[in-house]
Amino acid sequence: MNILILLLSVIIYASFGPINLIYILFSSITSFITAKYTKEKNRKLIFGITIVVNLLILVLFKIGIYVGIFGIPEKNIIAPIGISYYTLQIISYLVDVCKKKYEPQKSLVKYLMYVIYIPYLIIGPINRYDDISKSLYGKKHWNTNRILNGIIRVCWGLFKKYLIAGRIAIIISVITGNTAEFTGAYALFAMLLYSIEIYADFSGGIDMVIGVSKIFGIEVKENFDSPYLSENLKEFWRRWHIGLSSWLRDYVYIPLGGNRKGTIRTKINLIITFVVSGLWHGANYILWGLFHGILVCITKFLTTKSKTINRIINYLIVSILWAFFIWPTTGVALRMIGSIFTTFNYSSLFANLLNFNLDLANIIVLIVSTIMLIIFDIKKEKIILKIKNMKVETKIILIGILIMIVLVFGIYGIGFNVNEFIYSKF
Amino acid sequence: MKKFIKILIILLCLIVIFVITSRLLSPKYMTDLVEGSMIAEYYDEVKNHEVIFIGDCEVYANFSPMVMYEQDGITAYVRGTSQQLLWQSYGILKETLKYEIPKVVVFNVNALRYDEPVSEAYNRLTLDKMKWSKEKVDIIKASMTEDEDFMSYVFPILRYHSRFSQLTSEDFEYLFKEKKNTFNGFLINKNIKPVGSLPTKKRLADYNFSEKCIGYLDKITKLCKDHNIKLVLIKAPSLYPYWYDEYNEQIVNYAKENNLDFYNLKDVAEEIGIDYQKDTYDAGLHLNLTGATKLSIYFSKLLKEKYNLTDFRQNKEVNKIYQEKLISYKSAIS
Repeated sequence: MNILILLLSVIIYASFGPINLIYILFSSITSFITAKYTKEKNRKLIFGITIVVNLLILVLFKIGIYVGIFGIPEKNIIAPIGISYYTLQIISYLVDVCKKKYEPQKSLVKYLMYVIYIPYLIIGPINRYDDISKSLYGKKHWNTNRILNGIIRVCWGLFKKYLIAGRIAIIISVITGNTAEFTGAYALFAMLLYSIEIYADFSGGIDMVIGVSKIFGIEVKENFDSPYLSENLKEFWRRWHIGLSSWLRDYVYIPLGGNRKGTIRTKINLIITFVVSGLWHGANYILWGLFHGILVCITKFLTTKSKTINRIINYLIVSILWAFFIWPTTGVALRMIGSIFTTFNYSSLFANLLNFNLDLANIIVLIVSTIMLIIFDIKKEKIILKIKNMKVETKIILIGILIMIVLVFGIYGIGFNVNEFIYSKF
Repeated sequence: MKKFIKILIILLCLIVIFVITSRLLSPKYMTDLVEGSMIAEYYDEVKNHEVIFIGDCEVYANFSPMVMYEQDGITAYVRGTSQQLLWQSYGILKETLKYEIPKVVVFNVNALRYDEPVSEAYNRLTLDKMKWSKEKVDIIKASMTEDEDFMSYVFPILRYHSRFSQLTSEDFEYLFKEKKNTFNGFLINKNIKPVGSLPTKKRLADYNFSEKCIGYLDKITKLCKDHNIKLVLIKAPSLYPYWYDEYNEQIVNYAKENNLDFYNLKDVAEEIGIDYQKDTYDAGLHLNLTGATKLSIYFSKLLKEKYNLTDFRQNKEVNKIYQEKLISYKSAIS
């Protein structure tokens, strides 16, 4: 079964272009050899070189320096699929093995499974070797309940992606298509909606990864924990993209000194960590990371005694900063953020609510499905427990209903390009 | 065992819901875009046609089998569909021959000018209601535009799911039933739109029909020969899109080489009596009811004289069916 999973992963991954395979095999094999064969002598140096080489490949792709070095036109530079995810997984593995947190993997096939396992290679989450290895390499047994739970999770992911993210993407594309006219209230509207879109898109994709893995008997860690219920940015980053956040905490923030070296160093370390987070997304997102870092440092000034108000403030801050994801350049994003405070065209926005290429029926579907998402996030534990305890027959009915809902109300097909995930480009 | 049966019943119910939902969301082509329903009407017919028409809108708008029967006792059926491409005509003919072997197949050559799939909408009008067969699979594969995928033909819900917000009473009324919109494949249009000024005739870089189109025409020719069917090539008397002399010459030569008859009916429009100020419903592209009636009278006579067709008015059984059809046809045209 394990070999089959690896083979499938390699075949699917290679289908994106054989060049992808060369990069990932280079990173996998160098890290495998380093971890397995490095002796005590010069241990830190050899591990360090392997980490730096892998990191360098990632950074070069991220900041597009290849243009300068080889004179290749920018449009021709396509980073290998999933490089941001597998590089971080490899680095965490190397660091942990170097620190003797766990023994290195002795089998290359098993190690390749950890790096190339296709479901999480495309949009994450970033897994730690010690978290996933047990279920990744463990014997896979048939378990009807587990498989049905996995399918339900996949369906829920499809629901988020195709009912919510797909619809919002249509509105956002109208607004971003006219940066001259759609400023002020329109920009704010786009930011508030994009918060939902990116969450539905990214967490929907992760639901599919977790669900598919569950079907195969592999337990992938959660990447989200109802992030928009956070009361401040610090909490938000503990609940959003957990794989990346915890990686940055453990392999950037803490090695920098964390909070052990005084208040000012703590703040600097925080800002550096968030800038790295921005860089991980790409050179265009460094400012986004910087703003998050600064705002996390001054979190206590942005909170009140009311939980609800705190959540609203936090949602607003996060939404406004998504501007760097919505608009293609930092300049436009900053202009749009500025326009929120200078252009008060709310009456025009309300008059045009039905002019964003979504008719009333589709807007109703969007509202209802978003409410369902919010209810799920609030009552997550209870709902998950209820589903786990359902009879097999009830689970099948639930799957049938979810599939029908996605098939009928999903946004897909001719004229829509919703198959790509926002986070697959990082 | 009890649990297994329970699960089986649940799965069956889910399949039924899926099928009904898919049906509900698919276009019915009953009152709007009725061209989409034509392909399926044939399946309910008594298959005793001596003449089968294949081709694009220039056949289903211009030839009335009812007129041909009333005048000469010819049993004809028009298996034309909107923008029917060569490979579609070939597939539809192949499918038709599974049901019956006519004496004459009339093929309108207009489609030879198109060697690439034109649009998804036209594909759908031809294919949505066609019965599943190897021919349908071949046609789909040959006709799909870049954005289309085969699965959406197998599961129409994948294509039409977004109609959930556009459902009309037609979708519910014709969920489980269908009505006929044509008379043996002839779609009546009584409107009149006289020919005004036609678009300028553009010179083309290349007038030669593509190898692909000629290849399919060869296949149609061979198919007819293999079944001992007389293939008759025609060009309907439309004024637009322009049927260039260069096109015509190629067909004349092809017909000569393959021992086929070819009639360019535009050349005899005057003899037929077509008045382009009264006999067209869209300024010269298609004939209206009066134009189609004139053309059908002319062509019926020609077929009867040349191809030794049976006068089915003498056949009690067939005549009974056609008399009933004629009554509803006359009420429809009056």
